[in-house]
Amino acid sequence: MADREAEWSALMRAANAGDGQAYAMLLNTLAPVLRGIIRNRARSLPPDLHEDILQETLMALHTKRHTWDDTAPLLPWIYAVTRYKVADMFRKGGKADLLPLDDFEDQLLADAPDITAAFDTAALIGRLDSRSAGIVRAIHLRGESHATVAQAHGLSEGAVRVALHRAMGRLSRLAGRGGAG
Amino acid sequence: METRNLIDRLSAEMPHPALRPARLAVWLIGMAGLCGALFLCLAGPRPDLGAALLRPLILSKTLLPALACLIALPLAARLARPGDRRRSLLPLAAPLLITVILWLVTFVTLPPDDRFADVSVAAVAECFGLILTLSALPLATGIAVFRQGASTRPTLCGALIGLASAAGAATGYSLFCQQDNPLFYLTWYTGVIFIVAACGALLGHRFLSW
Repeated sequence: MADREAEWSALMRAANAGDGQAYAMLLNTLAPVLRGIIRNRARSLPPDLHEDILQETLMALHTKRHTWDDTAPLLPWIYAVTRYKVADMFRKGGKADLLPLDDFEDQLLADAPDITAAFDTAALIGRLDSRSAGIVRAIHLRGESHATVAQAHGLSEGAVRVALHRAMGRLSRLAGRGGAG
Repeated sequence: METRNLIDRLSAEMPHPALRPARLAVWLIGMAGLCGALFLCLAGPRPDLGAALLRPLILSKTLLPALACLIALPLAARLARPGDRRRSLLPLAAPLLITVILWLVTFVTLPPDDRFADVSVAAVAECFGLILTLSALPLATGIAVFRQGASTRPTLCGALIGLASAAGAATGYSLFCQQDNPLFYLTWYTGVIFIVAACGALLGHRFLSW
């Protein structure tokens, strides 16, 4: 996470000084991470809206990039803007009640840098036992509901939630160790 | 549009100059100061101002709104930046708490007939009307300049801008006002400040959302 902070804030500093290439690199690096977060948070919205939300978020980061204090960490700024924009899209879609706003930022801060980015690198998930990996893939990558996954694995919904929670905890620890090996 | 194309388009645009939240605050306080100074030039401060300010109960009339303004303004400025976590509203409880305590103490210590003796339609209208009028320009300026920011709590940010504007206006007005009964000024000043803060909240919701 520290590496990402250093790398991204250096790119943003260069971008705000007028370096278009650094800016493009930052946005291209950010897009898949944000896509993962949005896919994860907006499961209740139709998938074709996810890319719209991503683009809205990128536009917001773009139009408001001058509000980042370049002596402060960049990640909390990105998460605050993303959270605001995603919540805004939820409100517009009439789904405000489906978004657990209170813990949104904390969860983003906690899981986005390590876990969500790692979603796309199946290696990390592959290090879980096969049932946990299946549950994580189904819910976080394919956006299936807890009920569907419960049926597929012959578990209760509660058991799926518990298994998912534990799997995410293990992923978090794996990612914390660098995710390699 | 493909996200990749969007990124290409965005990265070709030139950046804006960095936001300086302190500058937003200076605009607001500057406008409040200007309106207050203009008003005091036209209407004149109370004739016994020097002597009056030596009396703590009259000095409070000036210091309490000044304190509220100086607490609300930096808070609003911090809210203009996404991700700034130094945004606790708790310090605002200080002037509010002092107001409540001072109000209760005055209420208990004053004889019943003196408590609300100065309340008249004309006096309340003057106090309300002048503070509202003096708040209007700083509030409008504040909302306009804070649009450069990106508050993720636009309604709250607007309310704080309103609060700072009205409290700033009340500070200036207090140098003119001769209603020295704390029950009078605490009630009506606080009332106007809350009304302007509510207007600020509405304006913030409307104009500071992005």
